[in-house]
Amino acid sequence: MDASTLTLHVRKNGAGVGRLDVMQMLSGVLLIVFLWAHLMLVSSVLISPKLMNAIAWFFETTYMAQVGGPLIGLLIFAHFLLAARKMPWRAQETNAFVKHSVMMHHKDTWLWLAQVGTALLILVMAATHMWVVLTDLPITAAKSAARIQSGTWLPFYLILLPLAEIHVGIGFYRIGVKYGYITKANRKWYQRLENYMMGGFITIGLLTLIRFLFLTV
Amino acid sequence: MSRRLHIEVFRYNPLDPNSEPHMQSFYVNEYDSMTLFIALNIIRDEQDPTLQFDFCCRAGICGSCGMVINGRPGLACHTQTRDLPDHIVLHPLPVFKLIGDLSVDTGTWFRDAGARIEAWVHNDHEQFDPKAEEVRMENDLANEIFELDRCIECGCCVSACGTARMREDFLGATSIARVARFYLDPRDERNEENYYQVIGNDQGVFGCMGLLGCEDVCPKHIPLQDQLGIMRRMLAIHSVKGILPKRVLEKLQHKGCCHESH
Repeated sequence: MDASTLTLHVRKNGAGVGRLDVMQMLSGVLLIVFLWAHLMLVSSVLISPKLMNAIAWFFETTYMAQVGGPLIGLLIFAHFLLAARKMPWRAQETNAFVKHSVMMHHKDTWLWLAQVGTALLILVMAATHMWVVLTDLPITAAKSAARIQSGTWLPFYLILLPLAEIHVGIGFYRIGVKYGYITKANRKWYQRLENYMMGGFITIGLLTLIRFLFLTV
Repeated sequence: MSRRLHIEVFRYNPLDPNSEPHMQSFYVNEYDSMTLFIALNIIRDEQDPTLQFDFCCRAGICGSCGMVINGRPGLACHTQTRDLPDHIVLHPLPVFKLIGDLSVDTGTWFRDAGARIEAWVHNDHEQFDPKAEEVRMENDLANEIFELDRCIECGCCVSACGTARMREDFLGATSIARVARFYLDPRDERNEENYYQVIGNDQGVFGCMGLLGCEDVCPKHIPLQDQLGIMRRMLAIHSVKGILPKRVLEKLQHKGCCHESH
Protein backbone atom coordinates (compact mmCIF):
# COMPACT_ATOMS: atom_id res chain seq x y z
CA MET A 1 0.00 0.00 0.00
CA ASP A 2 1.19 3.50 -0.73
CA ALA A 3 -0.37 6.96 -0.64
CA SER A 4 -1.51 6.82 -4.29
CA THR A 5 -3.49 3.59 -3.83
CA LEU A 6 -5.00 4.50 -0.47
CA THR A 7 -8.20 5.73 -2.10
CA LEU A 8 -8.81 2.43 -3.96
CA HIS A 9 -9.73 4.52 -7.03
CA VAL A 10 -6.83 2.96 -8.87
CA ARG A 11 -6.56 -0.79 -8.73
CA LYS A 12 -3.13 -1.98 -7.83
CA ASN A 13 -2.07 -5.26 -9.32
CA GLY A 14 -1.25 -7.76 -6.67
CA ALA A 15 -1.35 -11.43 -5.94
CA GLY A 16 -3.52 -10.96 -2.83
CA VAL A 17 -6.66 -12.99 -3.50
CA GLY A 18 -4.72 -15.86 -5.08
CA ARG A 19 -2.51 -16.08 -2.01
CA LEU A 20 -5.52 -16.06 0.30
CA ASP A 21 -6.97 -18.91 -1.75
CA VAL A 22 -3.71 -20.87 -1.54
CA MET A 23 -3.54 -20.27 2.23
CA GLN A 24 -7.12 -21.43 2.65
CA MET A 25 -6.32 -24.59 0.72
CA LEU A 26 -3.01 -25.24 2.51
CA SER A 27 -4.46 -24.68 5.99
CA GLY A 28 -7.29 -27.03 5.01
CA VAL A 29 -4.88 -29.72 3.80
CA LEU A 30 -2.83 -29.44 7.00
CA LEU A 31 -5.94 -29.77 9.14
CA ILE A 32 -7.16 -32.78 7.14
CA VAL A 33 -3.82 -34.52 7.64
CA PHE A 34 -3.80 -33.54 11.32
CA LEU A 35 -7.32 -34.79 11.99
CA TRP A 36 -6.71 -38.14 10.35
CA ALA A 37 -3.40 -38.58 12.18
CA HIS A 38 -5.02 -37.48 15.47
CA LEU A 39 -7.78 -40.06 15.09
CA MET A 40 -5.34 -42.85 14.27
CA LEU A 41 -3.19 -41.99 17.30
CA VAL A 42 -6.12 -41.82 19.73
CA SER A 43 -7.56 -45.04 18.33
CA SER A 44 -4.37 -46.77 19.47
CA VAL A 45 -6.35 -47.31 22.68
CA LEU A 46 -8.20 -50.00 20.77
CA ILE A 47 -4.98 -51.99 20.62
CA SER A 48 -3.94 -51.19 24.17
CA PRO A 49 -4.31 -48.28 26.62
CA LYS A 50 -0.57 -48.64 27.31
CA LEU A 51 0.21 -47.95 23.66
CA MET A 52 -1.94 -44.81 23.76
CA ASN A 53 -0.19 -43.66 26.96
CA ALA A 54 3.20 -44.23 25.35
CA ILE A 55 2.23 -42.18 22.28
CA ALA A 56 0.86 -39.39 24.51
CA TRP A 57 4.06 -39.49 26.59
CA PHE A 58 6.15 -39.13 23.41
CA PHE A 59 4.18 -36.06 22.26
CA GLU A 60 4.46 -34.44 25.69
CA THR A 61 8.14 -35.07 26.42
CA THR A 62 8.98 -33.63 23.00
CA TYR A 63 6.63 -30.67 23.79
CA MET A 64 4.74 -31.34 20.56
CA ALA A 65 1.44 -31.39 22.45
CA GLN A 66 2.16 -28.25 24.50
CA VAL A 67 3.36 -26.25 21.47
CA GLY A 68 1.58 -28.05 18.64
CA GLY A 69 -1.82 -28.03 20.36
CA PRO A 70 -2.22 -24.25 20.53
CA LEU A 71 -0.70 -23.95 17.05
CA ILE A 72 -3.40 -26.28 15.71
CA GLY A 73 -5.95 -24.06 17.48
CA LEU A 74 -4.54 -21.03 15.69
CA LEU A 75 -4.52 -22.92 12.39
CA ILE A 76 -8.20 -23.79 12.84
CA PHE A 77 -9.00 -20.15 13.52
CA ALA A 78 -6.93 -18.95 10.56
CA HIS A 79 -8.60 -21.52 8.29
CA PHE A 80 -11.99 -20.34 9.53
CA LEU A 81 -11.16 -16.70 8.79
CA LEU A 82 -9.94 -17.55 5.30
CA ALA A 83 -12.86 -19.81 4.43
CA ALA A 84 -15.43 -17.53 6.07
CA ARG A 85 -14.81 -15.05 3.24
CA LYS A 86 -17.13 -17.26 1.20
CA MET A 87 -19.79 -17.85 3.85
CA PRO A 88 -23.27 -16.40 3.31
CA TRP A 89 -23.17 -13.89 6.19
CA ARG A 90 -25.87 -11.64 4.83
CA ALA A 91 -29.45 -12.83 5.28
CA GLN A 92 -30.00 -12.19 1.58
CA GLU A 93 -27.12 -14.51 0.67
CA THR A 94 -28.30 -17.29 2.98
CA ASN A 95 -31.81 -16.94 1.60
CA ALA A 96 -30.55 -17.12 -2.00
CA PHE A 97 -28.33 -20.13 -1.33
CA VAL A 98 -30.93 -22.12 0.60
CA LYS A 99 -33.57 -21.47 -2.07
CA HIS A 100 -31.05 -22.42 -4.71
CA SER A 101 -30.23 -25.70 -2.94
CA VAL A 102 -33.91 -26.55 -2.58
CA MET A 103 -34.53 -25.74 -6.23
CA MET A 104 -31.57 -27.69 -7.60
CA HIS A 105 -31.82 -30.82 -5.42
CA HIS A 106 -28.15 -31.29 -6.28
CA LYS A 107 -25.91 -33.15 -3.85
CA ASP A 108 -22.74 -31.11 -4.32
CA THR A 109 -24.66 -27.87 -3.71
CA TRP A 110 -26.14 -29.21 -0.45
CA LEU A 111 -22.71 -30.43 0.62
CA TRP A 112 -21.47 -26.86 0.71
CA LEU A 113 -24.21 -25.87 3.15
CA ALA A 114 -23.24 -28.91 5.23
CA GLN A 115 -19.66 -27.64 5.20
CA VAL A 116 -20.72 -24.17 6.37
CA GLY A 117 -22.92 -25.57 9.15
CA THR A 118 -20.33 -28.05 10.39
CA ALA A 119 -17.62 -25.36 10.27
CA LEU A 120 -19.47 -23.11 12.72
CA LEU A 121 -20.15 -25.94 15.16
CA ILE A 122 -16.62 -27.34 14.90
CA LEU A 123 -15.15 -23.89 15.64
CA VAL A 124 -16.86 -23.87 19.04
CA MET A 125 -16.63 -27.58 19.84
CA ALA A 126 -13.02 -28.08 18.77
CA ALA A 127 -12.04 -25.09 20.93
CA THR A 128 -13.85 -26.65 23.90
CA HIS A 129 -12.21 -30.03 23.28
CA MET A 130 -8.73 -28.49 23.02
CA TRP A 131 -9.20 -26.43 26.16
CA VAL A 132 -10.30 -29.44 28.19
CA VAL A 133 -7.46 -31.65 26.97
CA LEU A 134 -4.61 -29.15 26.93
CA THR A 135 -5.36 -27.68 30.36
CA ASP A 136 -5.24 -31.14 31.89
CA LEU A 137 -1.99 -32.63 30.59
CA PRO A 138 -0.63 -35.28 30.56
CA ILE A 139 -3.02 -37.17 28.30
CA THR A 140 -3.65 -40.71 29.49
CA ALA A 141 -6.13 -43.37 28.47
CA ALA A 142 -7.53 -43.43 32.01
CA LYS A 143 -8.19 -39.68 32.06
CA SER A 144 -9.79 -39.75 28.61
CA ALA A 145 -11.99 -42.69 29.69
CA ALA A 146 -12.97 -40.86 32.89
CA ARG A 147 -14.03 -37.84 30.83
CA ILE A 148 -16.11 -39.91 28.41
CA GLN A 149 -17.79 -41.65 31.36
CA SER A 150 -18.68 -38.43 33.17
CA GLY A 151 -21.11 -35.62 32.56
CA THR A 152 -22.19 -34.78 29.04
CA TRP A 153 -18.89 -35.53 27.35
CA LEU A 154 -20.08 -38.66 25.54
CA PRO A 155 -22.87 -36.88 23.59
CA PHE A 156 -20.44 -34.00 23.01
CA TYR A 157 -17.97 -36.31 21.27
CA LEU A 158 -20.74 -38.25 19.52
CA ILE A 159 -21.64 -34.96 17.84
CA LEU A 160 -18.12 -33.57 17.28
CA LEU A 161 -16.77 -36.77 15.70
CA PRO A 162 -19.13 -36.98 12.69
CA LEU A 163 -19.14 -33.18 12.30
CA ALA A 164 -15.35 -33.07 12.02
CA GLU A 165 -15.11 -36.10 9.74
CA ILE A 166 -17.87 -34.86 7.43
CA HIS A 167 -16.30 -31.40 7.21
CA VAL A 168 -12.87 -32.82 6.50
CA GLY A 169 -14.19 -35.41 4.01
CA ILE A 170 -16.13 -32.84 2.00
CA GLY A 171 -13.19 -30.42 2.24
CA PHE A 172 -10.76 -33.01 0.86
CA TYR A 173 -13.09 -33.70 -2.09
CA ARG A 174 -13.76 -30.03 -2.75
CA ILE A 175 -10.09 -29.02 -2.77
CA GLY A 176 -9.56 -31.68 -5.44
CA VAL A 177 -12.46 -30.29 -7.48
CA LYS A 178 -11.48 -26.64 -7.10
CA TYR A 179 -7.89 -27.20 -8.16
CA GLY A 180 -8.66 -29.47 -11.08
CA TYR A 181 -7.28 -32.71 -9.61
CA ILE A 182 -10.74 -34.25 -9.45
CA THR A 183 -12.10 -34.05 -12.99
CA LYS A 184 -15.19 -35.12 -14.87
CA ALA A 185 -13.46 -38.41 -15.66
CA ASN A 186 -12.55 -39.47 -12.09
CA ARG A 187 -15.19 -37.63 -10.03
CA LYS A 188 -17.35 -40.67 -9.31
CA TRP A 189 -14.32 -42.62 -8.09
CA TYR A 190 -13.28 -39.83 -5.74
CA GLN A 191 -16.84 -39.45 -4.43
CA ARG A 192 -16.83 -43.12 -3.53
CA LEU A 193 -13.38 -42.81 -1.94
CA GLU A 194 -14.58 -39.79 0.08
CA ASN A 195 -17.62 -41.74 1.34
CA TYR A 196 -15.56 -44.79 2.30
CA MET A 197 -12.99 -42.63 4.06
CA MET A 198 -15.62 -40.68 5.99
CA GLY A 199 -17.40 -43.89 6.95
CA GLY A 200 -14.12 -45.55 7.92
CA PHE A 201 -12.91 -42.71 10.12
CA ILE A 202 -16.29 -42.27 11.82
CA THR A 203 -16.35 -46.02 12.55
CA ILE A 204 -12.85 -45.96 14.04
CA GLY A 205 -13.82 -42.91 16.11
CA LEU A 206 -16.99 -44.58 17.38
CA LEU A 207 -15.09 -47.74 18.32
CA THR A 208 -12.57 -45.58 20.20
CA LEU A 209 -15.37 -43.82 22.10
CA ILE A 210 -16.96 -47.19 22.98
CA ARG A 211 -13.56 -48.44 24.21
CA PHE A 212 -13.21 -45.36 26.46
CA LEU A 213 -16.76 -45.85 27.70
CA PHE A 214 -16.02 -49.37 28.89
CA LEU A 215 -12.41 -48.87 29.98
CA THR A 216 -12.01 -49.44 33.70
CA VAL A 217 -10.81 -46.20 35.24
CA MET B 1 -50.75 -45.17 -23.87
CA SER B 2 -49.63 -41.55 -24.04
CA ARG B 3 -49.59 -39.49 -20.88
CA ARG B 4 -51.43 -36.32 -20.10
CA LEU B 5 -48.75 -33.93 -18.90
CA HIS B 6 -49.41 -31.43 -16.15
CA ILE B 7 -47.18 -28.47 -16.91
CA GLU B 8 -47.00 -25.81 -14.21
CA VAL B 9 -45.54 -22.54 -15.40
CA PHE B 10 -44.34 -19.47 -13.53
CA ARG B 11 -46.33 -16.44 -14.67
CA TYR B 12 -45.32 -12.87 -13.99
CA ASN B 13 -44.94 -9.73 -16.02
CA PRO B 14 -42.65 -7.33 -14.16
CA LEU B 15 -43.72 -4.44 -16.43
CA ASP B 16 -47.38 -4.79 -15.48
CA PRO B 17 -48.08 -3.33 -12.02
CA ASN B 18 -51.21 -5.50 -11.74
CA SER B 19 -49.33 -8.73 -12.45
CA GLU B 20 -48.89 -11.04 -9.44
CA PRO B 21 -46.23 -13.79 -9.57
CA HIS B 22 -48.04 -17.13 -9.57
CA MET B 23 -47.91 -20.66 -10.97
CA GLN B 24 -50.38 -21.62 -13.71
CA SER B 25 -51.25 -25.17 -14.69
CA PHE B 26 -51.62 -26.37 -18.27
CA TYR B 27 -52.41 -29.87 -19.55
CA VAL B 28 -50.99 -31.30 -22.75
CA ASN B 29 -51.30 -34.75 -24.34
CA GLU B 30 -47.86 -36.20 -24.81
CA TYR B 31 -46.77 -37.89 -28.03
CA ASP B 32 -43.62 -39.69 -29.09
CA SER B 33 -40.41 -37.69 -29.20
CA MET B 34 -42.16 -34.59 -27.83
CA THR B 35 -39.79 -31.99 -26.46
CA LEU B 36 -40.62 -29.45 -23.83
CA PHE B 37 -40.24 -26.80 -26.48
CA ILE B 38 -43.02 -28.44 -28.53
CA ALA B 39 -45.25 -28.74 -25.45
CA LEU B 40 -44.80 -25.03 -24.68
CA ASN B 41 -45.65 -24.10 -28.26
CA ILE B 42 -48.81 -26.21 -28.09
CA ILE B 43 -49.78 -24.35 -24.91
CA ARG B 44 -49.12 -20.99 -26.52
CA ASP B 45 -50.92 -21.88 -29.76
CA GLU B 46 -53.95 -23.57 -28.27
CA GLN B 47 -54.38 -22.44 -24.69
CA ASP B 48 -52.72 -19.13 -23.82
CA PRO B 49 -51.16 -16.84 -26.44
CA THR B 50 -49.82 -14.51 -23.72
CA LEU B 51 -47.32 -17.10 -22.43
CA GLN B 52 -43.80 -15.69 -22.81
CA PHE B 53 -40.79 -17.90 -23.50
CA ASP B 54 -37.85 -17.63 -25.88
CA PHE B 55 -36.81 -19.95 -28.66
CA CYS B 56 -35.12 -19.73 -31.99
CA CYS B 57 -33.30 -22.76 -33.37
CA ARG B 58 -35.12 -25.75 -31.79
CA ALA B 59 -31.82 -27.65 -31.92
CA GLY B 60 -29.76 -26.69 -28.88
CA ILE B 61 -27.66 -24.20 -30.80
CA CYS B 62 -29.02 -20.73 -30.12
CA GLY B 63 -29.24 -21.05 -26.32
CA SER B 64 -32.50 -19.07 -26.13
CA CYS B 65 -34.82 -21.56 -24.47
CA GLY B 66 -32.92 -22.00 -21.19
CA MET B 67 -35.31 -22.39 -18.23
CA VAL B 68 -35.52 -24.17 -14.90
CA ILE B 69 -37.10 -27.57 -15.52
CA ASN B 70 -38.19 -29.33 -12.33
CA GLY B 71 -35.49 -27.45 -10.44
CA ARG B 72 -32.63 -27.88 -12.89
CA PRO B 73 -31.64 -25.32 -15.52
CA GLY B 74 -31.76 -26.80 -19.01
CA LEU B 75 -32.82 -26.17 -22.62
CA ALA B 76 -36.50 -26.74 -23.44
CA CYS B 77 -35.66 -27.87 -26.96
CA HIS B 78 -33.10 -30.36 -25.70
CA THR B 79 -35.41 -31.90 -23.12
CA GLN B 80 -37.63 -34.80 -24.14
CA THR B 81 -40.83 -34.93 -22.11
CA ARG B 82 -40.51 -38.74 -21.85
CA ASP B 83 -37.45 -38.17 -19.64
CA LEU B 84 -39.58 -36.15 -17.20
CA PRO B 85 -42.38 -37.15 -14.80
CA ASP B 86 -46.06 -36.35 -15.61
CA HIS B 87 -45.84 -33.20 -13.54
CA ILE B 88 -43.40 -30.65 -14.95
CA VAL B 89 -42.66 -27.39 -13.14
CA LEU B 90 -41.08 -24.56 -15.13
CA HIS B 91 -39.41 -21.40 -13.82
CA PRO B 92 -37.40 -18.69 -15.55
CA LEU B 93 -33.61 -18.88 -15.17
CA PRO B 94 -32.54 -17.05 -12.02
CA VAL B 95 -29.67 -14.50 -11.94
CA PHE B 96 -30.75 -12.95 -15.26
CA LYS B 97 -33.23 -10.11 -15.61
CA LEU B 98 -36.78 -11.34 -15.98
CA ILE B 99 -38.57 -10.16 -19.11
CA GLY B 100 -41.78 -12.07 -18.38
CA ASP B 101 -42.95 -15.60 -17.51
CA LEU B 102 -40.12 -17.91 -18.70
CA SER B 103 -38.28 -15.31 -20.73
CA VAL B 104 -35.09 -13.74 -19.36
CA ASP B 105 -32.47 -11.36 -20.73
CA THR B 106 -29.20 -13.31 -20.89
CA GLY B 107 -27.71 -10.95 -23.49
CA THR B 108 -27.01 -8.05 -21.15
CA TRP B 109 -25.33 -10.35 -18.63
CA PHE B 110 -23.10 -11.99 -21.24
CA ARG B 111 -22.23 -8.68 -22.82
CA ASP B 112 -21.09 -7.36 -19.45
CA ALA B 113 -19.14 -10.55 -18.62
CA GLY B 114 -17.47 -10.51 -22.04
CA ALA B 115 -16.32 -6.95 -21.50
CA ARG B 116 -15.04 -7.72 -17.99
CA ILE B 117 -12.95 -10.70 -19.08
CA GLU B 118 -11.94 -8.92 -22.29
CA ALA B 119 -13.14 -11.79 -24.44
CA TRP B 120 -11.21 -10.97 -27.56
CA VAL B 121 -7.76 -11.79 -28.90
CA HIS B 122 -5.12 -9.46 -27.46
CA ASN B 123 -1.84 -8.81 -29.24
CA ASP B 124 0.60 -6.04 -29.94
CA HIS B 125 0.37 -6.17 -33.70
CA GLU B 126 0.47 -2.76 -35.32
CA GLN B 127 -2.35 -3.50 -37.72
CA PHE B 128 -4.54 -6.29 -38.98
CA ASP B 129 -4.01 -7.37 -42.56
CA PRO B 130 -7.30 -8.83 -43.79
CA LYS B 131 -5.61 -10.18 -46.94
CA ALA B 132 -2.90 -12.12 -45.15
CA GLU B 133 -3.21 -15.89 -44.93
CA GLU B 134 -4.62 -17.06 -41.64
CA VAL B 135 -2.01 -18.29 -39.17
CA ARG B 136 -2.00 -22.08 -39.08
CA MET B 137 -2.34 -24.14 -35.94
CA GLU B 138 -2.17 -27.82 -35.09
CA ASN B 139 -5.39 -29.72 -35.54
CA ASP B 140 -5.35 -31.04 -31.96
CA LEU B 141 -5.05 -27.53 -30.60
CA ALA B 142 -7.83 -26.27 -32.88
CA ASN B 143 -10.03 -29.07 -31.58
CA GLU B 144 -9.20 -28.20 -27.99
CA ILE B 145 -10.16 -24.57 -28.58
CA PHE B 146 -13.30 -25.62 -30.43
CA GLU B 147 -14.30 -27.82 -27.50
CA LEU B 148 -14.58 -24.65 -25.36
CA ASP B 149 -16.02 -22.55 -28.18
CA ARG B 150 -19.06 -24.84 -28.25
CA CYS B 151 -20.61 -22.76 -25.46
CA ILE B 152 -23.95 -21.36 -26.68
CA GLU B 153 -24.29 -18.85 -23.83
CA CYS B 154 -27.64 -20.22 -22.71
CA GLY B 155 -26.89 -19.22 -19.10
CA CYS B 156 -27.80 -22.59 -17.56
CA CYS B 157 -24.42 -22.91 -15.79
CA VAL B 158 -24.76 -19.44 -14.27
CA SER B 159 -28.28 -20.22 -13.02
CA ALA B 160 -27.08 -23.52 -11.56
CA CYS B 161 -24.25 -21.81 -9.65
CA GLY B 162 -24.82 -21.16 -5.94
CA THR B 163 -22.10 -18.51 -5.92
CA ALA B 164 -23.63 -16.64 -8.84
CA ARG B 165 -27.00 -16.65 -7.08
CA MET B 166 -25.51 -15.26 -3.87
CA ARG B 167 -23.15 -12.77 -5.50
CA GLU B 168 -24.23 -10.79 -8.52
CA ASP B 169 -20.70 -9.93 -9.63
CA PHE B 170 -19.48 -13.54 -9.95
CA LEU B 171 -18.39 -14.22 -13.53
CA GLY B 172 -19.53 -17.83 -13.62
CA ALA B 173 -18.18 -20.93 -15.32
CA THR B 174 -19.03 -19.78 -18.82
CA SER B 175 -16.78 -16.72 -18.50
CA ILE B 176 -13.88 -18.68 -17.00
CA ALA B 177 -14.15 -21.29 -19.77
CA ARG B 178 -14.12 -18.40 -22.24
CA VAL B 179 -10.87 -17.11 -20.74
CA ALA B 180 -9.48 -20.67 -20.88
CA ARG B 181 -10.29 -20.66 -24.58
CA PHE B 182 -8.15 -17.54 -25.10
CA TYR B 183 -5.42 -18.94 -22.86
CA LEU B 184 -5.19 -21.90 -25.26
CA ASP B 185 -5.20 -19.74 -28.35
CA PRO B 186 -1.67 -18.88 -29.58
CA ARG B 187 -3.04 -15.74 -31.28
CA ASP B 188 -3.89 -14.30 -27.88
CA GLU B 189 -0.63 -12.98 -26.49
CA ARG B 190 -1.77 -12.30 -22.93
CA ASN B 191 0.49 -13.73 -20.26
CA GLU B 192 -0.46 -15.25 -16.90
CA GLU B 193 -0.30 -11.87 -15.18
CA ASN B 194 -2.73 -10.42 -17.73
CA TYR B 195 -5.17 -13.27 -17.12
CA TYR B 196 -4.68 -12.85 -13.38
CA GLN B 197 -5.82 -9.25 -13.69
CA VAL B 198 -9.14 -10.23 -15.24
CA ILE B 199 -10.11 -13.39 -13.34
CA GLY B 200 -7.61 -13.67 -10.45
CA ASN B 201 -10.11 -12.43 -7.88
CA ASP B 202 -13.23 -13.39 -5.93
CA GLN B 203 -15.40 -12.46 -8.90
CA GLY B 204 -13.42 -14.88 -11.04
CA VAL B 205 -11.68 -18.21 -10.40
CA PHE B 206 -11.15 -17.71 -6.68
CA GLY B 207 -14.86 -17.10 -6.11
CA CYS B 208 -15.75 -20.59 -7.36
CA MET B 209 -16.64 -22.92 -4.50
CA GLY B 210 -16.55 -26.15 -6.50
CA LEU B 211 -20.28 -26.81 -6.29
CA LEU B 212 -20.24 -28.55 -9.68
CA GLY B 213 -23.73 -27.31 -10.61
CA CYS B 214 -22.35 -25.72 -13.78
CA GLU B 215 -20.87 -28.93 -15.12
CA ASP B 216 -23.87 -31.05 -14.17
CA VAL B 217 -26.41 -28.95 -16.07
CA CYS B 218 -24.43 -27.80 -19.13
CA PRO B 219 -26.59 -28.91 -22.09
CA LYS B 220 -23.52 -28.99 -24.32
CA HIS B 221 -21.60 -31.17 -21.85
CA ILE B 222 -18.64 -28.81 -21.74
CA PRO B 223 -16.26 -29.83 -18.91
CA LEU B 224 -16.74 -26.51 -17.12
CA GLN B 225 -15.48 -27.49 -13.67
CA ASP B 226 -12.34 -28.96 -15.22
CA GLN B 227 -11.68 -25.63 -16.91
CA LEU B 228 -12.27 -23.76 -13.66
CA GLY B 229 -9.83 -26.10 -11.93
CA ILE B 230 -7.15 -25.66 -14.57
CA MET B 231 -7.42 -21.87 -14.57
CA ARG B 232 -7.63 -21.63 -10.78
CA ARG B 233 -4.56 -23.79 -10.35
CA MET B 234 -2.62 -21.84 -12.95
CA LEU B 235 -3.48 -18.48 -11.34
CA ALA B 236 -3.02 -19.71 -7.76
CA ILE B 237 0.46 -20.94 -8.67
CA HIS B 238 1.10 -17.61 -10.37
CA SER B 239 0.19 -15.79 -7.14
CA VAL B 240 2.80 -17.67 -5.08
CA LYS B 241 5.62 -17.54 -7.60
CA GLY B 242 8.76 -16.55 -5.77
CA ILE B 243 7.42 -17.90 -2.46
CA LEU B 244 7.27 -21.62 -3.08
CA PRO B 245 10.18 -23.43 -4.80
CA LYS B 246 9.96 -23.46 -8.60
CA ARG B 247 10.29 -27.25 -8.77
CA VAL B 248 7.30 -27.80 -6.48
CA LEU B 249 5.18 -25.35 -8.46
CA GLU B 250 6.06 -27.01 -11.75
CA LYS B 251 5.13 -30.40 -10.37
CA LEU B 252 1.77 -29.08 -9.12
CA GLN B 253 1.10 -27.31 -12.41
CA HIS B 254 1.46 -30.45 -14.48
CA LYS B 255 -0.25 -33.00 -12.28
CA GLY B 256 -3.54 -34.25 -13.71
CA CYS B 257 -5.30 -32.41 -16.50
CA CYS B 258 -3.79 -29.17 -17.71
CA HIS B 259 -3.62 -26.75 -20.55
CA GLU B 260 -0.22 -25.71 -21.69
CA SER B 261 0.12 -22.06 -22.55
CA HIS B 262 1.03 -21.90 -26.22
